[in-house]
Amino acid sequence: MLRRRLNLLGRAVCDMLAAIDPDAESVILHASRHGDGERTLEMLYGLDEGEPLSPARFGLSVHNATVGVYSIASGNRRSQQAIAASGGEWAALVAEARGYLADHHSSLVVIFSDQPVPERFAAYAPESFSAAVALRLGVEPATTARCLTETPMAFDGPTLQPLDIIDWLMGWRESVACPMSQRGWQFAGLPS
Amino acid sequence: MATTALEHELKEMIIETLELEDVTPDDIDPEEPLFVEGLGLDSIDALELGLALQKRYGITLESEAESSRQHFANLKSLASLVESRRQK
Repeated sequence: MLRRRLNLLGRAVCDMLAAIDPDAESVILHASRHGDGERTLEMLYGLDEGEPLSPARFGLSVHNATVGVYSIASGNRRSQQAIAASGGEWAALVAEARGYLADHHSSLVVIFSDQPVPERFAAYAPESFSAAVALRLGVEPATTARCLTETPMAFDGPTLQPLDIIDWLMGWRESVACPMSQRGWQFAGLPS
Repeated sequence: MATTALEHELKEMIIETLELEDVTPDDIDPEEPLFVEGLGLDSIDALELGLALQKRYGITLESEAESSRQHFANLKSLASLVESRRQK
C-alpha cells in the first residue's frame, strides 16, 4: 500500500534496499543531490494558485521521504540518514559510513540516487540522469567483497553522480574522484 | 446490497485521490473498514480524503477525532456524511 506514494526512483531505491538488506536491520545512509524536485515544485505551483496543500505530497517532499517510507514498510528501525551535499554526495556518504563503522557497526548500507532537476531549474544544475546504486560497506574482509581505498586526489572534473559509481563498480573506470573533497576512491586487490 | 451512485462516485474519488494501485471500485466493500483493516488506508490518507471532501463537496470536517472516525469508518458512513453535509 505504501508503494503508491513513491515515484519510479523511490521504488527502485526500496527494491534495492529490500534486496541488499532483506532482514531490514542495517543502518541506511541515502544521498541524493536534488531529491524529488518535481513534487516540491508542483506543491509550490499549487500554493501560488491558492490551492490547499496535499498532505501526502507535503509529507513526501522532504529529503528523507524515500527511506522513511522504506522504514515503515520494512520495519527497519535502525538509524537512517538522508544526505544532500551540493555535488559531494559520494564523499559525504563515505565519510558518514566511516563514522558509523568506527562506532562499532560492522556494516551498513549506502545508497545514492538522483534524477534530473525540473525543467524550470535545469539551467542551474549539471545534466543528470535517473539512476540509483546501493552498496553494503563493512569493516570485516569477506571473500566476495572488494577493499575500498580512499586517497587525496587533485581533481577538477565534474561532480559524481550515481551513474559514475555504477560505471566504476562495473569496472568501466578505475577510480572515481570528487572535486569538492579532492578525494578519490578505488578498489585494492580486485578479484580475479 | 446494491451500491448507490454516490457510493460509486466516492469509490472513484478514493481510488483517484489516494492513487490506489490495482484497486477497482468493485474491490471496495461499502461496509468494510476503510482504514487499517479492509482497504488498509492510513492517517495521511485520512487527511488527503478530508481535503478531497472539502474540494469536491464543500464539507469541512471538525477536528474532533471521534466524529471523524465515525464518518470515515466505511464507505457507507462516508456517503451519509456527504449526503447530509454537502454544499455543492
